[in-house]
Amino acid sequence: MKHTLLCVFISFVSMNTIMAQMPHDQIYMNKNIACGALMYGNSSWTNYWENSLKRDNPNIGKLSTESLSAMIAYGITKKVNALVMVPYVKTQASRGNLMGQQGLQDVSLWLKANVFNYKQLHGHATLGVSTPMSNYVTEFMPMSIGIGAKTFSARAILHYNLPSNLFISATSSYIVRSSVTVDRDSYLNGERLVNSSSVSVPNAFDAMFRLGYLKKENQLELFAEHFSCAGGDNIRRNSMPFLTNDMTMTAVGAYAKYQPKSIGVSAKVSYVLDGQNAGQSTNVTVGLLYLFKVK
Amino acid sequence: MKKYIYYLITILCFGFLLSCENSASEALIAPYIPANIDENAGSWKTFILSSPTEVSIASPAGTNDPTYQKEIDSLKNIVAPNLTNEQRQIVAYWGAGAVYRWNELARELSARYNSAPAANAEGKYPVPDAANPLADPKFPFANPPYVSRALAYLSVAQFDALVSAWKYKYQFNRQSPSVVDKAIKPLLPVSNLPSYPSEDAVVAQASYVILLAMFPGEGPFLRSKLEECKNARLWAGMNVSSDLNAGVSLGGAVAAKVMVRARADGMGAANNQAATADMITRSKSLGFTTVWTSQESPARPPMLPTFGNVKTWNFDRATLEAIRPAIPYIEGSAEFKKDYEELVAIDKNQTREQAAIANFWADGPGTYTPPGHWHRYGANAGFEAKYSEVRMARMLAYLGTAEMDAGIGCWDTKFYYYSPRPQQYGLKTSVGLPNFPSYTSGHSTFSAAGAEVLSAFFPQKASTFNSYAQQASDSRVYGLIHWRLDCTMGLKHGKAIGQYAVKRASQDGAL
Repeated sequence: MKHTLLCVFISFVSMNTIMAQMPHDQIYMNKNIACGALMYGNSSWTNYWENSLKRDNPNIGKLSTESLSAMIAYGITKKVNALVMVPYVKTQASRGNLMGQQGLQDVSLWLKANVFNYKQLHGHATLGVSTPMSNYVTEFMPMSIGIGAKTFSARAILHYNLPSNLFISATSSYIVRSSVTVDRDSYLNGERLVNSSSVSVPNAFDAMFRLGYLKKENQLELFAEHFSCAGGDNIRRNSMPFLTNDMTMTAVGAYAKYQPKSIGVSAKVSYVLDGQNAGQSTNVTVGLLYLFKVK
Repeated sequence: MKKYIYYLITILCFGFLLSCENSASEALIAPYIPANIDENAGSWKTFILSSPTEVSIASPAGTNDPTYQKEIDSLKNIVAPNLTNEQRQIVAYWGAGAVYRWNELARELSARYNSAPAANAEGKYPVPDAANPLADPKFPFANPPYVSRALAYLSVAQFDALVSAWKYKYQFNRQSPSVVDKAIKPLLPVSNLPSYPSEDAVVAQASYVILLAMFPGEGPFLRSKLEECKNARLWAGMNVSSDLNAGVSLGGAVAAKVMVRARADGMGAANNQAATADMITRSKSLGFTTVWTSQESPARPPMLPTFGNVKTWNFDRATLEAIRPAIPYIEGSAEFKKDYEELVAIDKNQTREQAAIANFWADGPGTYTPPGHWHRYGANAGFEAKYSEVRMARMLAYLGTAEMDAGIGCWDTKFYYYSPRPQQYGLKTSVGLPNFPSYTSGHSTFSAAGAEVLSAFFPQKASTFNSYAQQASDSRVYGLIHWRLDCTMGLKHGKAIGQYAVKRASQDGAL
């Protein structure tokens, strides 16, 4: 089985949501080759930014979000891959009396293509869509398992191969997010009271820089990532977050993958250094990968 | 195969793009001519004014008078030709009605100020300071009792001022500008209602005075809305300046009289934390083995423990005590155990529908609270029925006083029994836990009172309002923060309180 492939998966766990970012690397599965992955993620925070004020909350303690995700990446051609992911998410607060939530979150589908190759420089583009798989509660933040919006995302990736199997890579994406229908029939958006159950969720940007080592199916990399919204309001003083919030996070992390044969493992850790309207989360994801041929 | 996958993905992407409409717009509402302009409203029974002419206003200049002609000329030749699109939008906004819009603005302010103070570094909760309203914590903390009171005074002031305005309108009988001069093309529908003093200016100034007293940090915001509301009438060709000036003077003077009652109603003493020691002693003497304690960390003093002493509108103190709900089930009884088991079952397996009902009626921090929710229903029902300004204010005044009475009656009950919350028995919540004793449910009391009053004004919608009240009440069990008995007894209590407002409305000839 000489298929070069990689199931890289980033679950960028924010204050209370998992936004499954798409595989962002330069490696493709050959035609009719699939990689299945089972991922366990744990994201937790004790401190968070209420607007820009960093604080803890003794009525929440540590907020933990666990997720179990199944993903399949499939080689449509050698240069076009499709990926599908389904997560089950569970939240819990260590203190206070807020009820934990759990359920199937959002199914995501991505299409990734190698757009150009010039010497050691490679360009890739991805398109992604996601939609909630269940009618989970979105307005009970920070306990909700997701934001409930349908999304459409576009991402550009520039990858440059350095000597000695090293590489650097920069990616940038824009995420369009639909409005969400909540259970309540009014809410504040900034200083304005909206008498409707339809909530505008701000669109979002995401940018990432990576430096790594890649040889065959094995990989080790360091990354920095920045996520922010195009507009939105801030968490009000001593209040809970809401879907309209302008969430910003800057995180650093490391990723490693080892796949000697068709079975492999991956691990990713990241930590939010700075943010606004977001939790200062520590995120750990471990995965079991399995490579197989279709037909 | 490959080709079809591409097609599929392309279609999916377009489908998602189309469904990603990233805007939440509210329906624009069209102005109307009132179903009844209520010519006799000048003789309607007021709440505070002893007579509709208690505040006097100057006689207007006649329509042939040069000063009036100059005002008409200004509308025709200065205002109308220079109207901007932004001004037209402001006209359309206020065209929904001044009472309707000021009620909506009051609900918006309530939501913005509905935040509990944060604990400071010493673990204490600073009390909001009316003299320094924009400091942290902001003044007021617009919690349900506070909002019930703010909206009650707002509607009462609007109503009394409008009754007086109607009296003068028919006394002076000045026609509206577009009737006097056909060259004026009004932007809003014109009824036969005389235009002096302007009912919109009356409402705007009365609302401004009340809301500035209730939200003292909002002077600039309220002033801008006041100016907008008045200017919209000029821009629309609906009033001349002297109509507006007379309205401002009348509305302000009536609101000042209403504020005299507000300052003396006991609200200033509603947060007497020193009274809680005796309340706890009484609760124990009544047989409660567990009394209410704050479940927040650090423990927060209870919300307005002496709000139950505030002066009621539609019944007296003896009645308040006479209709106070009987003692609830006490831990150890079979009935208590049954209520507990209902909550345990929901805690284990809350359905999505239960969560949705709990969320819909939560009306917690950052919202206009249950009294605001009921005022919204009232204002919308009045709008649909094409109520005149004065009829709208009257209905909201009976609703508002009933909601404030419900708050007072419920808080009296809560702090009389000082009973424990389900969270003191290990239950979680899906809506957040209010920081005051459990029995009876405020939502149930506010909602039954609101439904009772609105059903009297809109009998054809009674079953809808009553089902809303029942659902609002159930929502507190589904959200796990109330025992079933808190809700059933709160509904009964609220209904009785609402009936006092209905009785008053009936005696006043308002029904």
